[in-house]
Amino acid sequence: MILRLPFLSMHLPARAITVSLCLVSLLVVALLSALHLGAYPLNISQIGQAVLGHAEGIQRMIVLDHRLPRILTAIGAGAAFGLAGSMFQTMLRNPLASPDVIGFSAGASCGALLAMILTGGFVLFGALIGGVVTALVVIGLAWKDGLHPYRLILVGIGASLTLSAGADLLMTKLDALTAAEMAKWLVGSLNARNWADVQLIWVGLAVLLPLSLWLQFPLTRLAMADDIANGLGVALSSMRLAITATAVALVALAVSVAGPLPFVAFVSGPISRRLVRQGKPALLQAAIVGALVTLLADMAARSVPLVHLPTGVFTAIIGAPVLMWLLLVQFKKGTL
Amino acid sequence: MTQLCRLSARDISVSFGKTPVLKELHTDIPDGKLTVIVGPNACGKSTLLRSLARLQPVNKGQVVLDGKAIHKQNSRSVARRLAILPQMPTAPEGLLVRDLVIRGRTPHQSALKQWSHEDATAVETALEQTGMAHNAGRPLEALSGGQRQRAWIAMALAQDTDILLLDEPTTYLDLPHQIELLTLVQKLNRETGRTVAMVLHDINLAARFADHIIALKDGRVHRAGSPAEVITEANMDSVFALPCTVIADPVHGSPHVIPA
Ligand SMILES: Nc1ncnc2c1ncn2[C@@H]1O[C@H](COP(=O)(O)OP(=O)(O)O)[C@@H](O)[C@H]1O
Ligand SMILES: [Mg+2]
Repeated sequence: MILRLPFLSMHLPARAITVSLCLVSLLVVALLSALHLGAYPLNISQIGQAVLGHAEGIQRMIVLDHRLPRILTAIGAGAAFGLAGSMFQTMLRNPLASPDVIGFSAGASCGALLAMILTGGFVLFGALIGGVVTALVVIGLAWKDGLHPYRLILVGIGASLTLSAGADLLMTKLDALTAAEMAKWLVGSLNARNWADVQLIWVGLAVLLPLSLWLQFPLTRLAMADDIANGLGVALSSMRLAITATAVALVALAVSVAGPLPFVAFVSGPISRRLVRQGKPALLQAAIVGALVTLLADMAARSVPLVHLPTGVFTAIIGAPVLMWLLLVQFKKGTL
Repeated sequence: MTQLCRLSARDISVSFGKTPVLKELHTDIPDGKLTVIVGPNACGKSTLLRSLARLQPVNKGQVVLDGKAIHKQNSRSVARRLAILPQMPTAPEGLLVRDLVIRGRTPHQSALKQWSHEDATAVETALEQTGMAHNAGRPLEALSGGQRQRAWIAMALAQDTDILLLDEPTTYLDLPHQIELLTLVQKLNRETGRTVAMVLHDINLAARFADHIIALKDGRVHRAGSPAEVITEANMDSVFALPCTVIADPVHGSPHVIPA
């Protein structure tokens, strides 16, 4: 299918449209079930009334103050992770090169933690600085006549472990209660999200999602070899810089509302690519997959009674097998 | 007589680390002709082609396209005039031939204007010219070596440039496919008037298809001119250290090298 408007013209492959519609429907179903899920029983019409602002008391409180902000944060953070992961994987031409595997998420959370300890706030700012610095250091260390996959992965995993240890050290500066809360956040938690979080992630997405989709054009060309992208007239350095900046901002944003949820950024790209096919990055679809994975993991976390397991435990359960599988595939193909 | 040359290398030097690869190399790519660059392995053929296409920064001298230093020109504007197909290009897994060819339209497109009528025409024409129209819907890795090479050439053609640079487009092809591909390139050169410059490792094929041959040795142009001028016993000996007899190809009349 071809879209042709005065200001916009592009190919819209039928398969990409179908996949997007299916994913959105799944997300809507998941959202409704997530609103329904919980110890306090509410039926659909009660939920509907609450969402529309027609409910009072406990009903209103549960839906509007607890469940809805948590769900919307999960969707927003998941989408941001999915976008960022897919952008890095495509640009670095390696499915292992996602921000949660190679330490960018850990860097962002360290930065956020540090900002929290030093100033008692500025979490997003700290996460941004932490993410940017880590990205520069990791890519810088891994660079030698280009970016070699295994060097990037090794340096990245090293950075990730070092930063996690760093975060643990920082935690000793906190009092026990805050430390306990922060420990959960460091695994990736969506517990007790409020409307400020929702606002932060969605305002961020409102800016960064269109920007990412605009960058998809050069990104698609960067996925080919450097000489080819260059020969086609793509400005390599400036486009790489723009893509890195956007993706790091997305990670920082997501980390500051949900913690470094492991593997969401990592699984979304490969899943959406396989759904859409045709060897193209599918950023929009990756965002929806990220949102869906995060929401489902959070529902799993919420349905374990009594203990409050952090959401990150469940995204890891989903993501770790995918990581092992991809490592095996790359190892067999000899591309690692 | 001086020939018209939109593209030329003016005393360019390129080194990797401390190793000099091109040494004040000076050469012109004649307009509308089919030029072939030959030379022994690792003598700098690819480096020259990449420099001519502004992919390789030069340490000294300059590559001039349309009267201006190519490295100082806007890359996108260069890409509308000059297309290059690097040696052994790679594409993401699963990419369809048609999508690859569409990528060739990049310098004519933008993020918001990704599909004009000219894009559609250029892509269909490129697929037709290379005989890839019936393979357009197949992923690249499902094709044979020869078909894949044609798909890449179709991409470069869709770019719709006056100048086309190809680096060893016949690598990994068997002889019939090499001939087929070079015949195609020659036909494109003759029919559309495109300037073509390509690297080939087979001297006899170079002699048969080229209008102009540039023989490189040790990062310098050893000899440049018509096949008859360049493909001589003396030159083969000095460039390739190959003792040989050169006869006239009984069928095509071009010089033919018979190694001793
Ligand atoms: N990116 C690079 N980094 C370092 N050395 C290179 C690079 N590209 C080419 N070379 C070296 O430059 C020399 C010429 O290479 P090249 O131009 O590819 O030769 P040819 O195409 O004639 O075989 C070779 O010795 C090669 O090893
Ligand atoms: Mg070469």
